[in-house]
Amino acid sequence: MNILTSLLSLMFFPAGISLILSGMLYEWADRKLVARFQNRIGPRWFQPLADTIKLLSKEEITPHGINNFLFYGLPIVALSGALTAALYTPVLGLTPIYSFQGDLIVSLYLLSLLTMCTGLAGWNSTSRFSLVGATRSLTQLFAYEAPFLLALLGPAMAAGSWMIKDVSTYASNHWMFITQPVGFIVALIGLMGKLELPPFDAPEAETEIVAGALTEYSGRGLALFHIGKSVELVVAISLVTAFYLGGIGNPLIFILKTLAILLFLATLQSMLTRLRIDQTVGMWWRFGALLALLQILVIILLKGWLI
Amino acid sequence: MTTETLLQRATELLAPFSKGNTTPETNRLDVQIDANDLPAATSALISNSWGYLSAITPMDLGAEANKLEAIYHFCEGAAVTSLRIQLPREDRPRIPSISNLIPVASFFERELGEMLGVDVVGTPDSSRLFLPDDWPDGVYPLREEFSIEQATPVEPHETLPEFGRTGNKFTVPIGPQHPALKEPGHFEFSVDGEVITGARMRLGYVHRGMEKATQERNWIQNLYLLERVCGICSHTHTSAYAYGVEKLAQVEVPLRALAIREIIAGLERVHSHLLWLGVAAHEAGFDTLFMYSWRDRETVMDLLEELTGNRVNYSITVLGGVKHDITAENSHSIHTALDYLEERIRHYLNIVTTDTTFLQRTRGIGTMNLDEAKHFGALGPTARASGLVRDVRIDSPYGAYHHFPVSIVTDERGDLEARFVVRMKELLVTCFTIRTIVDNMPAGELTTRFPRKIPAGETISRVEAPRGEAFYFIKSGGGENPVRVKIRTPSLCNWTSVLNKAVGHQLADVPMLIAGMDPCFSCNDRMITVRRKDDSQTLSWSQMREYGIKKYAAMREMK
Repeated sequence: MNILTSLLSLMFFPAGISLILSGMLYEWADRKLVARFQNRIGPRWFQPLADTIKLLSKEEITPHGINNFLFYGLPIVALSGALTAALYTPVLGLTPIYSFQGDLIVSLYLLSLLTMCTGLAGWNSTSRFSLVGATRSLTQLFAYEAPFLLALLGPAMAAGSWMIKDVSTYASNHWMFITQPVGFIVALIGLMGKLELPPFDAPEAETEIVAGALTEYSGRGLALFHIGKSVELVVAISLVTAFYLGGIGNPLIFILKTLAILLFLATLQSMLTRLRIDQTVGMWWRFGALLALLQILVIILLKGWLI
Repeated sequence: MTTETLLQRATELLAPFSKGNTTPETNRLDVQIDANDLPAATSALISNSWGYLSAITPMDLGAEANKLEAIYHFCEGAAVTSLRIQLPREDRPRIPSISNLIPVASFFERELGEMLGVDVVGTPDSSRLFLPDDWPDGVYPLREEFSIEQATPVEPHETLPEFGRTGNKFTVPIGPQHPALKEPGHFEFSVDGEVITGARMRLGYVHRGMEKATQERNWIQNLYLLERVCGICSHTHTSAYAYGVEKLAQVEVPLRALAIREIIAGLERVHSHLLWLGVAAHEAGFDTLFMYSWRDRETVMDLLEELTGNRVNYSITVLGGVKHDITAENSHSIHTALDYLEERIRHYLNIVTTDTTFLQRTRGIGTMNLDEAKHFGALGPTARASGLVRDVRIDSPYGAYHHFPVSIVTDERGDLEARFVVRMKELLVTCFTIRTIVDNMPAGELTTRFPRKIPAGETISRVEAPRGEAFYFIKSGGGENPVRVKIRTPSLCNWTSVLNKAVGHQLADVPMLIAGMDPCFSCNDRMITVRRKDDSQTLSWSQMREYGIKKYAAMREMK
């Protein structure tokens, strides 16, 4: 693959512009669904795009007492992390354009980059709300990261490969949400933790700490973080869909599957009350991690048995 | 115990300190005491569990008498005992603090100090509660000689303390502007990690000088002014004022009018509690419940609009009666609306008692037991959720509550869940009472003649607002205007419990704890016109009109 195609794929498809736009559409779908569940009308389809354009065109206020390099750099790193992860992920059900042995782990860490950047951004700020928000973001990261990783390792172990492409291909013939239902549930809930969706929105609980770690951000920086988040939504949902709901295949069917997951997430979002950070951590380590480990154990035993 | 025996008991308890007793009304006892006897007299009442401190009225008796007066009102059932202390009319006369006996007195004492210029010796916090930071020293708004020219802003000497961060300990400021607060107030929570170690508060951001303003308006104008004390329980304030003034004027209000007032008060309670349910759910991060309860609240708002013509400030009460009748058609729509609301309220009651994630945020949080509730002087649903039987509608029935009584709802548990349960059950009781009244509407006139001048005298009017007891002290000098109207709203009494109970809880619980008592800041804040140094000036109506016309003309030109 020459440099030009790499550049094109990075800028336009599957990463870049198309991913950002689809991220916005997914975000819209999520907002609309939650709104309908809450008996509201909800935003129009272009609202996330309009929000982003508006934010980008707004003045960016630089607070005092911060490290400027970090303040401007973090949003860019966060967004590029999420976009890079897309290159190894079967977005829209297409075969990922890059692969190497172990890209699953790399993608997962690239996805965590956003949370790390959010945490650092809060730490960099002098605002106390940001500080509390940053602490909560990072605490929560430690809570869901391990179970989420374990939940995605399940299919990888079943497929016997650390390459997303191989696992997805294997998953096309094995619907793993039937064979590994526990892992599927943990992955879905981990997804919500990763995206800081309610009930795991303690890091940005507006009634306590305003906007959490991003309180001091405005304009471009905030817009980049928001875009990063919508991109992460698409990438993470695609990953879970590819692993658990029948792998790479017809893009249309794949999109429908991701939308089904989104519907499930939106339902949970509107049904549950925000958990306190100690409750979140307690829940993940008491149930999430144990369930995921159990799943792994079962896979190991079964594999050993079958071989 | 009947009111007579209660008052008899209070007379006996206070006999050692009394410098003269009077009984201005059948349920009241006024005892003149010396300032130095105040702690002993208070302790005599409190240690014999006679009542709770309901309010302290600061009053200037005028240049002629050359005295200031602080009146400490204690209530038990329908009986009110007032300790009256006359002070020399000088700068900062001294009075001992009773905050160590009654924590809630701290707020009243801060008000006494800043509004009347009394030096409360030994009060734990003498910083300003209501007055702005740039208010000049030695200018006391409730003194008779006060004029707005004196209130020229000065350089604030008390700047907010800058709390540095030491390790994991720092201060989280909440407010005056914060997403958790629907109205401005300022709190400082010192936290260690996520755990609260201390709490302070400052009010007065929506202070509008209403108590002072009542003195310059006539009895009828005040009705409409006081309606605007609170945007949620506007009817409570007009009722409390009207019942007081009607008592002073010795006017018998027709029963039909009283019944209509009770219906409106009931509907107001429904709207207020549903609003609160939404806010509390939002603080907990349960936005679906927020959206649903506010949607259903529209039903009762529409109903109130149909009955009174207004959605917020109903203006149905007039002195001596009510403005609008409730017709057969209205009764029908009340029943229809209540059918729907009762079903929804039962549903919400079910949610707040069974939803697992919601219970994680409410069960066992902020638990206040009966003794603490008594000690902190809690009122309304906050008190009743701790098993404290305290409701003016039952203890001291006013208006139509003799004919159409309500039953009291209490809960023993004292946590946030109990407060949800008490409020929701209270709504079911209220709906039942409204239906009873509507089905048995007494016949009669809507209003009676009301005099323009009210005979000289003092009265105390207590009304149960959705948040607890609202206390009005009204003094007439025999003229067209009142001499003094003192308003004490329930939120002010409930703050003590919240600030004390917050310590040891997680920061995440704070919005819930604050919401749990259903605070109403605009009720708390009432009194002052503020003239800022640079950005504002006092405008007359015509000046303001001119300013508005100019401004909008300029805006049109810019387009």
